[in-house]
Formats: sequence, structure tokens, C-alpha cells
Amino acid sequence: MSFEMDNEILQDFLIEAGEILEKLGEQLVDLEHRPTDKELLNAVFRGFHTVKGGAGFLNIAPLVEVCHSAEDVFNLLRQGQRMVDADLMDVVLRVTDVVNSMMNAVRGGQLPEPAEPALLDRLRALAVPQAEVVQQAAVAEKDGGLKDGATVKQQKDAVEEKFEELLGASEVSASAVAAAAAAPADADKKESAAKPGDEITDAEFEALLDQLHGAKSPGGAVPREEASTGQAETMAAAAINAAPIAKLRAGAVAPQDNSPSIKEDDHGEMKKAAPVKEAAAQAQAETTVRVDTKRLDDIMNLVGELVLVRNRLETLKLNMGNDEVAQAVSNLDVVTSDLQTAVMKTRMQPIKKVFGRFPRVVRDLARTLNKEIDLELIGEDTDLDKNMVEALADPLVHLVRNAVDHGIEMPDIRQKAGKPRTGTVILSAKQEGDHILLIIKDDGAGMNADKLRRKAVEKGMMDEDAAARLSERECYNLIFMPGFSMKAEISDISGRGVGMDVVKTRIAQLNGNVEIDSQEGRGSEIRIKLPLTLAIVPTLMVLVGKQIFAIPLANVSEIIQYESIKRNVIDGLPVAVVRDHPLPLFYLRNWLLRDGGNDTPASQSSYIVVIKIGPYQTACVVDYLIAQEEVVIKPLGAMLHGLPGLSGATITGDGRIAIILDMPSLISRYAGRLH
Amino acid sequence: MQIKVLVVDDSRFYRNRLREIFADDPDIQLIGTAENGREAIEKVAELKPDVVTMDIEMPVMDGIAAVREIMKTRPVPILMFSSMTAEGAHATLEALDAGAADFMLKRLEDMAHSQHEFAREIREKIRALARRPLHAARAPLHKDDFAPRLHEPREPARQAPRSVPSGKVSLADYKLVAIGASTGGPSALQQIISSLPKGFPVPVLVIQHMPAAFTGPFARRLDAMSQVEVKEAEDGDALLAGKVFIAPGGKQMLVEDHSGRGVIRIRESGENEQYRPSVDVGFRSIADAYGKNVLAIVLTGMGADGREGARLLKKGGSSVWAQDEQSCVVYGMPQAVVAAGLADRVFPLSEIAHRLASGA
Repeated sequence: MSFEMDNEILQDFLIEAGEILEKLGEQLVDLEHRPTDKELLNAVFRGFHTVKGGAGFLNIAPLVEVCHSAEDVFNLLRQGQRMVDADLMDVVLRVTDVVNSMMNAVRGGQLPEPAEPALLDRLRALAVPQAEVVQQAAVAEKDGGLKDGATVKQQKDAVEEKFEELLGASEVSASAVAAAAAAPADADKKESAAKPGDEITDAEFEALLDQLHGAKSPGGAVPREEASTGQAETMAAAAINAAPIAKLRAGAVAPQDNSPSIKEDDHGEMKKAAPVKEAAAQAQAETTVRVDTKRLDDIMNLVGELVLVRNRLETLKLNMGNDEVAQAVSNLDVVTSDLQTAVMKTRMQPIKKVFGRFPRVVRDLARTLNKEIDLELIGEDTDLDKNMVEALADPLVHLVRNAVDHGIEMPDIRQKAGKPRTGTVILSAKQEGDHILLIIKDDGAGMNADKLRRKAVEKGMMDEDAAARLSERECYNLIFMPGFSMKAEISDISGRGVGMDVVKTRIAQLNGNVEIDSQEGRGSEIRIKLPLTLAIVPTLMVLVGKQIFAIPLANVSEIIQYESIKRNVIDGLPVAVVRDHPLPLFYLRNWLLRDGGNDTPASQSSYIVVIKIGPYQTACVVDYLIAQEEVVIKPLGAMLHGLPGLSGATITGDGRIAIILDMPSLISRYAGRLH
Repeated sequence: MQIKVLVVDDSRFYRNRLREIFADDPDIQLIGTAENGREAIEKVAELKPDVVTMDIEMPVMDGIAAVREIMKTRPVPILMFSSMTAEGAHATLEALDAGAADFMLKRLEDMAHSQHEFAREIREKIRALARRPLHAARAPLHKDDFAPRLHEPREPARQAPRSVPSGKVSLADYKLVAIGASTGGPSALQQIISSLPKGFPVPVLVIQHMPAAFTGPFARRLDAMSQVEVKEAEDGDALLAGKVFIAPGGKQMLVEDHSGRGVIRIRESGENEQYRPSVDVGFRSIADAYGKNVLAIVLTGMGADGREGARLLKKGGSSVWAQDEQSCVVYGMPQAVVAAGLADRVFPLSEIAHRLASGA
């Protein structure tokens, strides 16, 4: 079912609710560590409250319903009438998942499905003051409990009142009450009801009745009044034997030990930045405008075209030798660069958008694996192109899961190794010049280079000699090879064997690269380098034969004159010896030109471009170097589309077409394995 | 002169909706917004709004604390937005205590579905609050009068009783005191009810315009701070001396005479009954049941509810008092009664409280 709503208002809601939910994820994880932090409880309460309000405005009933219940629970929590415990957190986290998926439905123009009644029931059962529960349990105890049926007046009253509502019957026997109370099929409740005990409290009854309420409306599971007396009595006995759950709950107040905590370096800053000062005095309009990303993409494309025109003019300027024109073109150059930067900035988003989900990911994982893990986030405010932020989400999740699953050891093992029980995963981002550096670091077990060598041989990826020649660093980077999975047994958390090489491919698609370093027993560090944007790429223009090719600068580590380098043959393969280090040597003309059969470079002007992909270096021979140029990637036509090694085309300063090379795929396609 | 409004709410979504509502009204100018109480205090000092709309749940500083601070430093009429829950009721009453002038339910559902109605209501309230003469801007009521005193009943009428004009009938001559109120009513009623002495000689009926979820908490709150017993009226309640009955929100409260014994009747509101509970509806039934033995008091509030009921009571020989303009948050309902020539006496709020407390 879809629903109609003023799009402007809907967007308004989606943006605000989206922000709130993002924060909520972090706040809830924080809450496990500071379960009595009043400000935090208030913030979560307000979050649900605000989302509920907006959903109410838009008449999204399922969302209102679930947020309303969550709001009730947090209202009790913030008033100290209930304490945060692990069970409550589990329910609340599941609720936020549900709310998130509802939001996704709304985003897709659909009216979300109602939350599953069982979850709502559990949530509602938590909206009962705990203090009251405890207090009343004490009262019940003093009065001798309920063993002989309902003798405690206040309980009987409350129960009857509820039941009059429920059954429309004026007189309800205590056994029927209990039978009905025992009827709802909530696994958790049944479990607790089965525990031996000798009283059932008012509030407990209420909770059960509330569940009944919930179960009644959708399905019509109205308690059976006509249940045979015998049956009813058995059930009554079961209900009356319910354990004093109040006490259980009160005992479970302490937060879980094995859950991660989050330290946010930028937290203080975020807070300061939050109350953005709006221009005062005048009746002011909002200072922001919402723009479809499609439009930003269009603008970016146009700026790209402009860059090409500028490049063309730059070339023409040299030929013309006219000072005034040169002056004007220089100005154009400056303005174009500024414009390019400005447009790029409009597309920037803080990486927080991706980082924000990790506290929850790590928390859940740590709980599942029974590990103790702190997640530290650094540099969340680092800006990155929007498309990049989105494209990074999956690879990062995989890497972080990996660090938690494979990296960090079990607490006992850590302790034996003389490390703190709690492992640390650090996720950091920072801008370094024209690129972004992301680091995922753990203080876990690290990797053993020899094990990796053996594994590579076992998997038939290389022979023993080749494996033995690998440096330790190269060994670690083996994990990015297709089909190379480390863990013996495959868990559903990571280790599906498809992970790391996919991560690498994804990052390569973003013109970035990834490498890993590790120290056995000390932990691993994965470094991802990414350009700030995807739309404009700095490249090295080279000539191969008569054709111009553009090699992304990200892949270029150095350029060496062909003649000045010693060449050799190892294992039957040509190598270039660069500073005593042999690099596989390839002649690009063999791959890129139809008639490029002979291996002899055409002239003295040939160069070796050292290409770096991850830790691997290769020497590629080109015929001529043209220049370093920023190019705008244009998609290839249908004829060339999908050819390995080509990522697109562009127009050069002198008006010619240049093919942009995708070096990783080019090399893996034509050189086979790198080793 | 446009009414300058400052909107305080932590939800941008909600601020934008209010912005839209005010944009359509040439009389109202939105001069600024604030995202929390702390910012609100700054903006009030800086922008000098005529009226402030204030949310309750906000980060940094909540709406109640902000109201308290604003009323201390730069009093301005504040319209609270509250949610339709017991919690919301409690917070709203707290805010009214702190000096907020009026409140409105933050019913986002209604806002969407009867947008026009909601917009009309909020604009009307803002106009009414802006019209209020400056000298009536009320500092927070004395904390002493309102601090809940469960175990420490207050001395009745602390001030020495003033001399009662001779020839005036004593309260004991009445069978019933009936009070109608709207905007500004909750705190006015607090002042009156909390000063009534134990053993007050007649029953008191209160008809305060208020939503359903609010009257229960309001009654309990009054009860906690008073020596007389205060409860939300229920169908079948017997009118007993010294008891105060608050008409339940959303419904209508009537009185029947069962051979000299007053009984409260509660019924659902009719389709076209604008006020729920309505002072007119209540007063009319009281006039039928009690004739001339009633003291009717019309307190602060928007509109003219109570005028027709007062007319009937007056005709039957009962007495009608109206709150004076100066002490009203909104001089609407009392004005209607005064203008129709129905008021026997016009008193400031403090005088009404004092006279009732001292039995005259």
C-alpha cells in the first residue's frame, strides 16, 4: 500500500527522523555502558517522541504505534522507575531495527507493515514501572502470597477491573483470570512463568493482560471463558506459580560486561556544533535548500566539461603566444579550479554517515561472539564525496566485522597473553592532501606470515618457492586474493571466503587502494586510500604507439627512464631491477596495440611507469610521457563497454580522445597472477 | 503591528510546520526559532517576541526550566505545546505553574488532518495572548501557594481576613459554588482552591476547558496542594460540602437534584458542543437544579463560554462573580459576562480567593 503526502513535508520528516535514528543507534549502545545517564535516557526518549510526532502528522500508524511504546518505556527509564538491563536493550535495539525498516518503507513511498505483535508485546511489557513491581512483590509476600487463589485485595481489584474490560463479564473467577493470563503465547513469559515461585505481582499480571490485549485485537485470540474448569485450574496454578519476575529484573540491572563501549573523540565538537545559530533579528528563512543529488551530478558533469574546455584552452594558449589570451586563460584556470572545488564541496558528506552504524554492528557482534570490544571512532567529521560515502559502507562493514570476528581474541585468551580482556578496534578517517585515508586497526591476534604462505600453497595459488619469496607484508595482503579465507570453520559473521577480495575490488572501483599490515600477537591494521571524488581523476597521460592513454595517478608510484634501468629475466619472466628490487616488467603496447608484438621499445624516449596496486609493484613500459592532467571520466560506448582494463575515456587538452586505464584489472587480466 | 512570535522546538519538522501556519497569517510574524530552552532564553532577550510557543521535551534545557527563567528575567506570554498524555499533563501543569500563559495540545495527527482547524486555534491563542495588557504579564505564582503539601496542610488564609462588607450574604447561604475557566484557568484555580479551608461549607464544581488526559492529573495535583478534597468528577458523585469536583475533559458535567441531594452526571459531548467540558452546559444544569442558591464565578479565558449559563443562573436569582481584567491571562469569558450585565461583582483573582477562603 502506498500513501500520498506532500512530498516537501515527507522529505522534511525523512531527513529529521533519519538523523534521529542515526543518533539513536549510537545513543543506545552508549546506554549499555551508562545505563543511568539521565541525559542519555532523555535524549532517546525525545528521539522516539519526535519520530512519533512526525509519523503522526503523516498518519503512518504502524510507526506511531511502535515509537509510542518505546517512548513509554524510556519515559519510565528516565524517571528511574525502571532500570536498563540487557533484555530491555535487546528489545529496544530490535525495535530500532523495526523503526529503521519502516522508515525505509516510507522512503520508498510505502506505508510500512505493522510491527510484529510479539515484539510490541515485549516492548509494552517493559512499560511497567519496575519500582512498583518490586514494591508490590514485597506487599504480596507480606500478605502471604497468592497460593490459595486471589486473596490479596488490591490484586484482585486490578485484575477484575482489567477483565471486565477484556471479557465484558462482570464476574470473573480467579482461576479464569489466571488461565487467561497464562494463555498468551510469548515464549519468554512462559519461560519465566514456569519457574517455581510463590507469588505473582500486580504489575506482572498487568503485563500479561497487556499482552493479551495486544494478542486480542489482531488475531481474535480472546481468552476462552468456556475452558474446562480442570484445564483452567491447571493453568491458574501455572500462573500463580510464576516466579517473582520483579526480582529477576531487578537483579539483571547491571550492564553486560561483554559489550563494547564507544569513545567518540569528536563528541564534544559535535555537541558544540549542534545548536546552529540562525540569523536573528529578521524573519529568517531556513538557510538550507534541499537539492536532488541528480542535479548535483549534472552540475558536476558540466564542471567536468568545463575542465575539459579549460584544458583545451590551456593547450591552445601555448600555440597562440598571445599574452592577453594567456592571461585570460590563466584566470579561467583559477576560476575553474575554484568552481570545481566548490561543486565538489556541495557533494561532500561527513563519513559519520557510515561510521555511525559501527557502534551497533560491533556491539551486536561482540555479544554474539562473547567478546569484549571497545570501538573507537576518530575523524568522523571528515568529508567525502556522497557517492563515495555510500559505496564505502559495505566494504567497511566487512572489514570491521572481520576485525571483530578474526582479529580480536576471546577475553580469556587475551588475558593469558597478557593483554587487557577488552579488545580495541579503532576506525579512523582523515584527509591527507587530495585523498582520504581510512584505517581499521585492531589490537587482536594479528596474522602469521608462514601460515598464510602455507595456505597460499595449499590453495594452489603459487608454488612453495614463490611463497617463500614473499615478504611478510606481501603475505598479509594475500588475504585480498580471491578465494582466500582464513578461518577454518565458516562462521556466518564473516569468513564466507568472498569477503576480502570483494572489498579490494570495490575499493579499486573507487580508484582507491587497500593494504594490510599485521604483527602477530599485536594486531592488524588495514589502510584504505581513496580520492576525494570520483568524477575528476588526476592522471598521467602517456603515449603508447600513437594512442593516448591516461593512467590514474593513484596507481603511479614513480617514473623511470627506460634506458636507465637494468632489465633481467627471472623464472622466464622479464623484470626491471629498480633499486635492486626486481619488478615484473610489462610492455603496455603488447596489451593495448594490435600490432604491438615486438618487445623492443620504440625509442630512447620510452619510460617505465611503476604501477602500485596495494603492495604489488609492476613496471609498465610506455612509449612517451605527455603530461599530468585532470580528466573527467566519460563512459565508454557500448562497443568498448566492459572490456577489462579500460575504465572510460576522456578528451585531452589538444582535443584528442584518451582511454583511461583501469590498471588493477588491466594487469590482472593480461599478466595473470601478479606472482 | 504584527505579533512577533518566537517558536521553540527541538524538532525541525515541527518548526517548519509552525512556520507554514504563521506564514499564512498577515498578523503574525515568526521572528525566530530556538532548538532548546537555553537558546530560547537567549532569543527572548535578543528578539523581544510578543509571544513564545514552547515545546516541553527538549535537549540542553527543557521547556519548563526555560519558562521559569524567562518569566523571571523577561516575562512574555508563553504558549506551551504539550502531548496528550498523563505525562504531558503533568509537565504542562508544571509549566503553567512556572508562568506559562496557556497551552495547546501538540496533536500532530490533527495538525495534518484538520490543518485549518489547528491553524485557526493556534493563531487565535497567539492573538489572545498578544492582546493581553502588559501589566497583566504575570510573574510565576508564589511557590508557597503551589508546592504540593501532602503532609503539611497550609494554614487557611494567612493574611488577616479583611472586613467583609456588611449586608453581604455568607457563603454558607449558598448550596454550591460553580467556577468556569479557560486560558489561564489552571493557575488561577490553583490559587483559589489551595486557599480553601478544611471544612469548606459548600461543594465546589469546577469547569475548566481542558483535554481528557489532563483533568485527572490536574485534580490530583490540586488535591495534593489543598486542604479540601479535590477529585475529577465521576458520574453519580454526590455533591458533598467541602469537596471540589473537576469536570472531566472531553465530556460534559451536569448536576441533578435528587430530592435535595445533588448528584453529578457525566455525559459524552455532543457533536456541536465546541467546549468539552462546557461552562454553559454545566451552569445551565446547575441553574435548573439549584435555582437561586448558587455562587457562579467566571474566571480568565478566551471566548464567551459561561455567559449563557450565567444568564440563566442570574435569572434564577443566583450570584455571579467575574474575574477582573487586570488579573486575567485572557479577559474574554469574564468580559462577556460583564458586558452582558450579568456580573454582580468583579474582583481580582486574589480577592476571589480571599473571599472564598474567608467564607464570604
